[in-house]
Formats: sequence, C-alpha cells, structure tokens
Amino acid sequence: MTPILQIEKLSKNFGGLEALRNITFDINRGEIVGLIGPNGAGKTTLFNCVAGIEKPTKGQIVFTGSDHAIHIGGKKPEVVTSLGIARTFQNIRLFDNLTVLDNVKIGRHCRTRATFFSAVARTRGQQAEEKNITKNANEFLEFVGLKGRGDEIASSMPYGSQRRLEIARALATAPHLLMLDEPAAGMNPQESSDLMHLIRSIRDKGITVLLIEHDMKVVMGVCERVVVINYGQWLAEGKPHDVQNDPKVIEAYLGTGAANAA
Amino acid sequence: MGNLSFKNMSHGGKLRAALLILALIFPFFPFVSEYLLHIVILIYLYMILSLGLNIVPGFNGLLDLGYVGFYGIGAYTSGLLTVHFGLSFWLIIPLALINGAIWGFLLGAPTLRLTGDYFAIVTFGFSELVVLFLTNEIWLTRGPLGLPGIEPISIDFSLFGGPKWEFVGELPYYYLAIVMVLVTVFVMYRIQDSRLGRAWFAIRDDEVAAVSCGINLLTYKVIAFAISAAFGAMGGSFFARWVTFLSPDMFKFWESFLVLCMIVLGGMGNIWGVMIGAVVLVSLSEILRDLLPLLGLPVNVRFLAFGLIMVLMMRYRPAGLLPIPAVAAQMRAGRVKRKKRKVTVGTKK
Repeated sequence: MTPILQIEKLSKNFGGLEALRNITFDINRGEIVGLIGPNGAGKTTLFNCVAGIEKPTKGQIVFTGSDHAIHIGGKKPEVVTSLGIARTFQNIRLFDNLTVLDNVKIGRHCRTRATFFSAVARTRGQQAEEKNITKNANEFLEFVGLKGRGDEIASSMPYGSQRRLEIARALATAPHLLMLDEPAAGMNPQESSDLMHLIRSIRDKGITVLLIEHDMKVVMGVCERVVVINYGQWLAEGKPHDVQNDPKVIEAYLGTGAANAA
Repeated sequence: MGNLSFKNMSHGGKLRAALLILALIFPFFPFVSEYLLHIVILIYLYMILSLGLNIVPGFNGLLDLGYVGFYGIGAYTSGLLTVHFGLSFWLIIPLALINGAIWGFLLGAPTLRLTGDYFAIVTFGFSELVVLFLTNEIWLTRGPLGLPGIEPISIDFSLFGGPKWEFVGELPYYYLAIVMVLVTVFVMYRIQDSRLGRAWFAIRDDEVAAVSCGINLLTYKVIAFAISAAFGAMGGSFFARWVTFLSPDMFKFWESFLVLCMIVLGGMGNIWGVMIGAVVLVSLSEILRDLLPLLGLPVNVRFLAFGLIMVLMMRYRPAGLLPIPAVAAQMRAGRVKRKKRKVTVGTKK
C-alpha cells in the first residue's frame, strides 16, 4: 500500500536561512508517527509546509488521501484541508469569542455547502445540513471528552480542554491525516496520559496521526515510529526505543560528549 | 438569541414583541409631530445602514471606512432611475441592491487581500472617489447642483386598472422603513446562525485557524463586502425617494464615520447593540442641534460631542453598550483570567 504522505527532498528557505534541507520520509496509513527534534529544528516549518501555510522552496509533498496521489506542496491551506489533512497549532488557536460547539461546527465547513441564499431562505436542504452539522459536532465533542460543554465560550475553558477542543475541531474536517503540534505542551501527567489514550482512539478510527512533541513520555508511549530532525535536516528514523538510544540523537539533544557518557 | 417567532416566547422575545408593537403604534401618540416622525424614520434608516456595515467590522473584523460610498451609489441609482425612467420604487430596490453588491464585489475582490489598516485606507479612498464622481460627472448626476424632483414612492396598480396611491407625508415612509428594518434584521439573524455566519466569525477570531478549517478567506470576505454594500445601497435607494433630493455632499466621509460610531457604540457584531447605537447617535445629534444654540454654541460643536462620547466609551465600555456576550465576559475578566490561567495549567485537571 502506498504511504499516506510522502515527503521527498523537501527544502524551505527563509531568505538566507535554511529552515529545512532535503528532508525525505514517509508516513504509512494508520500509523502514529512522532516528529521530534531540538528547539528550532524546523518541525513546525515542516508542518506548515504540509498544511499549505508555507510554500516549500524545493521538493515534493505527495498525499494519498483516499485513492490517488496528489502533490500538495504549495497548495493553499483550505485546499489541503479539504483533501483531508487537518492540524492543530502549537499555541492554541481557537475561535475565542465563539461557543465550544460553534468552534467544532466551523470545522465542518469544508464538508458542507450551504450558501447565503439557502441560509436566508432556510431551505429544507440547508436545515437538514445544519441538523447534521450539529449532530456531528456533538459527536466529536463527546469523542474528545467534552460532552455537554458545547455552550461554554471557548476562551473560558481550562487549558487542557482547549487542547481537546482544537483536536475536536480538526477531526470535524473529516481528515485522513491529523497533524498535532505539541498537543501535550503544558499538560500535567494525568492530562497527558488521557491525551495518549485519545490519540490512540483517533488512530483506531482509521486516521493517521503525525505529532510533534517534546514530552518524551508521550512520544515513547504512543508513537509507533519516530522521525528526528535537527538543524532542518533528517537525522534519524525508527522505533522509539532505537531512536532514543541512537548516539546521533542523544548528541543532537544533549551536545557532543553526552553520547559517550550515556 | 435570534428567535423572532412568537412560539416559546422568552423574556427577550416578549421585549422584542413589545418594542415592535410600540414602534407600530408610535405615530398615533398625541405628542408625535411630523418632525419627530421624520427623526424616527432617520433612526430606522441608520439602523439599516449600521446593520449592513456591521457585517464587515462586526462579523469579519475588517475596518471599513468607505461605507457611505455604497449608500451614495444606492441613492443615486434610485434617484437617476426615477428621474430618467420613472421606475417604480419596488423595482428599484432590487436593482439598487444588485448595483451595491456589484460595486462591493468590484472593490472587494482586488483589495480584500490587504490586511488591517491598508484595507481601511482603500475603502476610505473609494468613498472619496464616489463623492468626486458624483460631483464632477455633471452629465449624469448634475454635480453640485444636486438631483431635485425625485418622485416620492407610490403604490401603483394603474397598470391593472387599480388605484395609484402616492406616499404623502411621513407616515407611509415610517411603516415602509419599519418593514425594511425588519427584513434586514431577519436576514442578519438567518446569516448569523448559518454556515456563512460561522465562517465570518471564524475569520474575525483567527484567520489562520479559519483557513485550516477549509475556509477560503478571500471568497468569504468578498461575499461579506458585497452583502454589506447591498444593504448600504438599499438604505440609499430608500433615502433618495424619501427626501426626494440628492446632492453629492450628503455622502461625505462623515457619514461613514457616523455609522461606524453607531456600531462601536452599540457593540460590534451584536445585532441589537448596533440598532441601539443608531438610536442613541441619531437622537443625540437631533437633541444637540436644538440644545447647543440655546447654550450659545454653534451647532457643529456636536461633532466634538461625538468625539467626546467615543473617547469615554473606549475608556469605560470598550466593547460597546450591548456587546457580544463573549466579548463582554472577556473584557470584564481580562486581567483576572490571565492570572488564573497560569495557575490552572499546573494544578487543575
């Protein structure tokens, strides 16, 4: 089976700065893959390139969502989303003034089609669609453990719940591939263990997960494969435990000499 | 919020019904003069305008300083079609709506890629352009001489051998204005609870997140701009047939600013707040017009008063008189919440 996402020789320059250089790796369907690396390694830039927020300077990103392969490098973010790649953000980006339910409903945007005129006339089709959107949104809220909290204002929720809400909103776009940018950042041990459980159940729904994470407990606990990048370059790849013991990786995180000491 | 039907009437519903009934019987109170009726119609007109403008800054978070341009386009569309072709007002309304939307689209499509202040400047330029056009294209608009002798609105059944009833005095305009406000409010509520409205709110709150939910920013901003312009033009088309005289200086930048003030004062993004803003500012303007000469001040001092009010609002109620609930809560809890959040990260599950 073809990998769901193939990244080939991807490079991204910001002026003279090479944020990514010649990165190549694949993500297989149904995997949970961790993308790790020291601060400033280019993890979020890679995410942005895949999501369409940044345009890659060189290289290809091939996404095989349902049937045929599509080159998504340089495509607009809303197009990438409708093809089936959803994401969350490192610093939570919710629609702060809206209710929790509305946040998730907005996630359904790319899967629905009501227009201005059908909304004003409130046609039968539009009503049915609205009903469906609400039903779906509530299901996703229940799935991430926010059942019954749809009427709260998004910004008034505690931090951990906001993370979950962001995941619910991403899931509402019906993705094949979900990219989580540091989902466990700022969570306590209990919250991150709940999060690991959630990530596994997302995969069990048939959604492939790619996550950036600094919390090694989460990475080791949930990822089946880990890709390490450093200074914008591919450094290592493999099972979490092998990568953890890879001298190159230890060196990247702790500096020269640390690998020998370990 | 947002249920205008009489079923399952809530507190808010009763209040709304009461206000509507009050508006409907208002002209029959003994103290109501033609002048007062004129002012109330003006309030209704500004309600339509501010509801229309509200779409852009209130729903989409974009600053629009050129709204009066669309108002002027609608007014002159209506005026010229009446003077030259004698079209019926009922035909003119849809034409003015469409013309407004077209100009909204033409202005919005190339310029809505601009962000923040840059976009505001473009809209400002557009409204100045409209005024210059109306002033200088004398062959079409008679320029500074103005466009007099626009026929008042009539309901004409003479084609079918029926009677022709011309609008005389303020009373018929009063009821027509109420109908137009109700239609506008109805459309706003329908949009607010729809996929379109949610897409706009998403754009207002966070553009990057909106895009990653699959919302095409430019498309939705242009739709917003066109719909907003259409309502501006609708207000203008009514204005032309109501005052029966148009001149370019009725559509100066000041009008845009006034409508924007109504929105900010009432509570950006809130349909009821925006209408209250229109009530407050129009009545204040009229009261000051009478009051200032009594105090021995020139009438134009009221512009200063508006400025003062805006400053005080920003100091004491930055979210407006009747803000969106969430914004109000945020403003209130602002400092407290930021402190609390730091604690909850570590301790609360």
